[in-house]
Amino acid sequence: MNLSRLLHVARTEWRHQVRRPLFWVLLVLLVFVTWGVSSGNVTIESGSTEVGGKKAWATSGFAVAQTVLLLTFLLFTFFVSVGAGMAIISDDEARVQPLLHTTPLTPAEYVWGKFLAVLGAYVTALAVMMGLLVFFHHVVPSGAAAEFRGPFVLEHYVRAAVWFGLPLIVFMAGAAFCVGERTRRAVPVYFLPVGLLFLCAFFLWDWSPGWLDPRVNRFLMAVDPGGFRWLTETWIKVDRGVDFYNTQPVGLDALFVISRFVLMGLGLGAVAWSERHFRRMLRGDAGAKSSRASRDRMEAPPAQVALSHAEAPLSALGMGVKPPGFWAGLWTVTRAEARGLLSQPGLYLFLPLLMFQMVSQAATATGPFDTELLLVPGRFAVRSMNQASVLVCLLLMFYGVESLEREQACGFAPLHDATPVRTLSVLLGKALANSLVAVVLLSAMAIAGTLVQVSQGTVPLSLTPYLLVWGLLLMPTFFLWMGFILAARAVTGGRFGTYALALGALALTGFLAVRGDLTWVTNWPLWGAVRWTDLGAFQVDRSALVLNRVAVLGLAVFFTALAVRLDGRRAHDAVTTLEALNPSGLARGAWRLAPYLVVPGVALVSLGVLVGQGYQGAAAKLRAKQYWQKNLATWKDAPQPALVDVDLDVDLEPEASAFRTRGTYTLVNRQATPLARFALSGGDAWKDVRWTVDGKDAAPEDRSGLYVFTASPPLEPGATLKVGFEFQGHVPDGVSREGGLLKEFILPSGVVLTSFEATFAPVVGYQEERGVDPKENRYEPRVYPDDFYVGPTEAAWGSGTPFTTRIRLSASEAYTLNSVGVRESDTVKDGRRTTVWRSDHPVSLFNIVAGKWDRVAGEGTEVFHHPAHGYNVKEMSRGLEGARRYYSEWFHPFPWAELKLSEFAGLDNYAQGFPTNITFSESIGFLTRASPEVNAVLLVTAHEAAHQWWGNLLIPGKGPGGDVLSEGMSHYASLKLIEQLDGPEARRQAARGMETRYAKDRRVDGERPLVKLDGSREGDTSVVYEKGGWTFWMLEDLMGRPAMHAGIQAFLKRYMNDADHPVLQDFLAVMRPFAPDAAAFDAFTRQAFFEVVVPEYRVTEARVTKEGAQWVTTATVTNAGTGRMPVEVAVMKGERPVSLPTQTAPAADFHEARVRVEPVAGAGARVTVRSDFAPERLVVDPDVRVLQLRREQALAPLTAP
Amino acid sequence: MLSLRNLVKVYPGPVTALRGVDLEVPRGMFGLLGPNGAGKSTLMKILSGLLEPTSGEVTLDGLDLVRHPEALRPHLGYLPQEFGFYPYLSGQDMLRYLLELKGVTAPQGLKALCAQLLERVNLTFAAKRKVKEYSGGMRQRLGIAQALAGNPKLIIVDEPTAGLDPEERQRFYRLLAEIAHERTVLLSTHIVEDVAMLCPRFAVIRQGRVVAITSPSEAKAALLDTLYEGTVPPADMDSFQQAHRVTQAVLFEGRNRVRIHAPPGVPVPPGFERTPPTLEDAYLLLMKDAPGPSAPVPPSAPAVGA
Repeated sequence: MNLSRLLHVARTEWRHQVRRPLFWVLLVLLVFVTWGVSSGNVTIESGSTEVGGKKAWATSGFAVAQTVLLLTFLLFTFFVSVGAGMAIISDDEARVQPLLHTTPLTPAEYVWGKFLAVLGAYVTALAVMMGLLVFFHHVVPSGAAAEFRGPFVLEHYVRAAVWFGLPLIVFMAGAAFCVGERTRRAVPVYFLPVGLLFLCAFFLWDWSPGWLDPRVNRFLMAVDPGGFRWLTETWIKVDRGVDFYNTQPVGLDALFVISRFVLMGLGLGAVAWSERHFRRMLRGDAGAKSSRASRDRMEAPPAQVALSHAEAPLSALGMGVKPPGFWAGLWTVTRAEARGLLSQPGLYLFLPLLMFQMVSQAATATGPFDTELLLVPGRFAVRSMNQASVLVCLLLMFYGVESLEREQACGFAPLHDATPVRTLSVLLGKALANSLVAVVLLSAMAIAGTLVQVSQGTVPLSLTPYLLVWGLLLMPTFFLWMGFILAARAVTGGRFGTYALALGALALTGFLAVRGDLTWVTNWPLWGAVRWTDLGAFQVDRSALVLNRVAVLGLAVFFTALAVRLDGRRAHDAVTTLEALNPSGLARGAWRLAPYLVVPGVALVSLGVLVGQGYQGAAAKLRAKQYWQKNLATWKDAPQPALVDVDLDVDLEPEASAFRTRGTYTLVNRQATPLARFALSGGDAWKDVRWTVDGKDAAPEDRSGLYVFTASPPLEPGATLKVGFEFQGHVPDGVSREGGLLKEFILPSGVVLTSFEATFAPVVGYQEERGVDPKENRYEPRVYPDDFYVGPTEAAWGSGTPFTTRIRLSASEAYTLNSVGVRESDTVKDGRRTTVWRSDHPVSLFNIVAGKWDRVAGEGTEVFHHPAHGYNVKEMSRGLEGARRYYSEWFHPFPWAELKLSEFAGLDNYAQGFPTNITFSESIGFLTRASPEVNAVLLVTAHEAAHQWWGNLLIPGKGPGGDVLSEGMSHYASLKLIEQLDGPEARRQAARGMETRYAKDRRVDGERPLVKLDGSREGDTSVVYEKGGWTFWMLEDLMGRPAMHAGIQAFLKRYMNDADHPVLQDFLAVMRPFAPDAAAFDAFTRQAFFEVVVPEYRVTEARVTKEGAQWVTTATVTNAGTGRMPVEVAVMKGERPVSLPTQTAPAADFHEARVRVEPVAGAGARVTVRSDFAPERLVVDPDVRVLQLRREQALAPLTAP
Repeated sequence: MLSLRNLVKVYPGPVTALRGVDLEVPRGMFGLLGPNGAGKSTLMKILSGLLEPTSGEVTLDGLDLVRHPEALRPHLGYLPQEFGFYPYLSGQDMLRYLLELKGVTAPQGLKALCAQLLERVNLTFAAKRKVKEYSGGMRQRLGIAQALAGNPKLIIVDEPTAGLDPEERQRFYRLLAEIAHERTVLLSTHIVEDVAMLCPRFAVIRQGRVVAITSPSEAKAALLDTLYEGTVPPADMDSFQQAHRVTQAVLFEGRNRVRIHAPPGVPVPPGFERTPPTLEDAYLLLMKDAPGPSAPVPPSAPAVGA
């Protein structure tokens, strides 16, 4: 290899690379993006969100590494692929290869020179990016991001570039170069970044269930070319605290270092492989068909190769011409394009990847509490819409542009363009053929979904949802996108201009989506806008959806028309083009295109009006803001009367989403002083509102939705009055702004209405969250004093004390109408059902749920479900019965006669345990996939059923720690019920799942003790549920089951039906006398409730020796975490028998021996375990009884002598 | 009749490729002769509807081809100077595709017609082979097959014999001559011999202007008795060229064999003998005599010997 020639090639190519627009577009993007991230948008998810709280720096080693790897991955991979992959293809198209390779230039000099040039160019861009990051972070820093900025540490930037940026660039450049050289086609080159993006963003970076085998996890970390999975799993997933991230460099391990070198080796190896192939091709050894027939054809030219030996005149052939019509031309072009498309390898390479991705996604879809879900075609189709639209749009862009460029690239354009086929036929033919990509990909996705469904063997197969979702909703998106590509190509006249416009459009849409600025008007790909429910597809926002699709189809036609108009097959003259650009010329052009804008224009304007008038529109937002503005200061903490009785008549019209409510609230003054004024919050969209007080018409002051009544005379303490009301409305009232979730609704598929919000009934007092916009007027949560719970504490929800209800519901007879209490009557007259519900024991909340269900009755329980969703009903019924029976034994007898569980359309993912009337979204429980290891159906049922006690019978106090008594206690109850019904192994599995979720979602720095949790910080939810549940479980472990039950029963008796609502301190005060060891109780509760401590055990120096007939295991158990808990250490042999109902316990030869240790934080405890069997492993906390971090490290394999 | 009126084409730069071309192309074979860069290919592209002229008119039998280029396409057979095919299609599939795009019909069906056309250009043996495996000559012949398809009224062939061996070239010309009886065939070339062989009339284009419209015999007749041939030592060549109008000079046995144009009254150098004129002499003289870029374009270019 001649170095001089190699450098000459490299220099020439480098100049070309850095001068082309592609490179400069990248630089411009880098400037914008690095400027954007310097505002503190990319930091490690750690630290506090409070004003003045400790923030994670955007300049820390971890943040810079994260920024560099994301930018390199998202931006560089596309540009590097095009730059490297097209290097040799461009020379082919320029036909310079024969000239170049008749010079002394060797293939090695040529190939490596080209590659090094591309690599050099993009490494230069990487250096520019690093320089820009330093510049924006430290030289001209954003003032608004001061708290996210740490000191300048050069090492952070160098390490990030070297370990995260450079390897990926080398790999991508090498791989793309290789693909370009070997295929000599553009589309496979473009597949690389798209495929990689798909693989990483939707799988490698995202998929990490708690049960994943650590070896598999490490393998996935190693194969992730971006390094994001390694960074997350190794350093970020379990929060190490903001100080750690801000000050420490990213520690590298052998796995990561080796994977980086392998990655670069693969890139360089790919180039070496290309060089070998290129050399062989020049020699004629490669590239030719290897089939015998082909060789024969090439080797045996015909005897006669002269032009013509035909004697008959040409006219004898009888040829005529009938210019092809639109359809004939369309068919001809489509067929030829389809052949071209199918001749490309990219599609075949990509399909397996896509199917693998879809299968893994479908098979691992999870719902609340990380429960696995059954695959339902419609939900799968909707869930995959975002991915499908991004992926297919990218592929359509690449295929479409290359298809439009094909005639030019292969020199066929002069012949093709001189034919009489219509331009519209040509453009649409190409678009249609390329739409085959979409059809093939969607078919593959449907096959993937179907395969998963078949493997699950539960949900029946159906193609209709796929046709409905992808056919009706996605295909218009693809039509629009192809039309846009055609128009962009016509406007820019070239390949890279089209790519720039199209990628720009996609990026802009993504930007708007991330900012939450997409609405039905602008959301052309329907990202995140659509929800699926088996109970009735697309009943929400249907008019918006239809108009959006009409607009999209109309725009597709417009862009196609624009393309036909601009994409004349005749090269336009510059002078006449300039003339056409004068105002009158432009006006003429616009006028000709105007008809195509009528349909999309009307649709978009109508959409805009609908959205503006909808329940999330500007007017509704303004009204809510006015409610907040006008009433916050006066009514937020104003004393209010309490409800003692609710009497409601609610007529429902599900087909029209309408309701009419008539009713009365009986209110009592439980305050110590007379109430001169009180307020009820009304619904924003209520119509024809009428009020009465004690039966007389009343005209309360309407303060933007807060109705203020003046009691004359003032309501004395203990006195009652009746407020009557009548109004009507719609739920939802109009269309949403951008689709998405819907908590309450009246739809043909069913009804869900709750007393939390003023949707179908007034709410007593001022609603704190109403009119608060997170971006505009959210204020920080109230700071409570440590003794805030002393004396009466306000209820966390509801009116404070239980009340009685009578709720009369009416709707079409097809619906079952459920509410709280017992069913007093259920009659049908004139096709209309009327059901009356009356509380047989006071309640604190009420709700309405209606649907067209099947019913499964148990002992004092009923499950109402969609007829097709009977998969888990038996298990749910078992859970409900078990909950009713055992919670009654453990906590307090269930005071109501019935316990119902009703399914509602999965327009939101939640379950709510209203008294006697639990509601589950279809994705919770009904579509949960139970596995032998984790009975997820039982877990969610047990949790929601526990709210009958923890949340209804006992309403916790408003303030820190209150929620733990509701959610944490329900989780604790679930663990108990799971163990009761399914045995200890099932409980261990469920507890491990809770522990994993806690470790994953907690924020080390933001985490507060249980008694301080108010739900305002990131990570609070996980702590409330998972740690809360675990803590109560550990408390029971400490106190013993009988003492715990006795304490809980005493606690409930003390606080049920009381005006003082308890928080954790009240709970502990009641429990302490029941503790057998008060000192141990105090020591435990201090750590578990008043501090933030989590042990983290590690086993080192594990060794087994034999002493006589015994094996002696010694090891050091170190607590690398915090706190001090007694914990068992066991040595084991064989597999522990399991006792799941679904499994047969293996008759394994299982042995174990245990000791108990209590290692303090940061110290090790030496353990010695004697056993009369040869131990195979040592396990800390074998019964999963101590909440800890990184449990996978708390074991050691043993080798017995 | 194909008529061109004051056709001008200015490329951005600006580069003026055509400076007001006026031409009447009758039925039959018509040659367009000119050196490289004279504007021939630009003219061909405009005539085939692939390029919009800056100004001027083009009509075929009264049909305005500038405003309605699509009107010509069903009646056009076009073989450009440079072209390619879809590499992934076989020769017969490629031809069939083009026939379908052109809307060609035949009583025997398109499949049979493709086979017949391929046989005409002797590509039957490679009909099923992918076009990317074709040699340059085979590709050119496939191009010829598609240009002949559909009985076009106007056939435009731009440097058609590039890549053909002499035998193929002869046969192709015979084919062109055969079909030129019923239509207009416009042959653009810089090879004078091709025009001499095929075209009863031709135009000479130079620097975007038509500098002559004539026939081979007229062109030669105009030079009758004015051409002389002799030898000149290489050392004297420069001074000789300054003194005489040299039409051609070729090296022969180490000496320059030179042809000069010497109309009556112009002295003939010693040793030079009268020789019969060739079309090449006429063409080369035209290239020397034609007005330069700055000269005004005459409304009607003079015909040599007319």
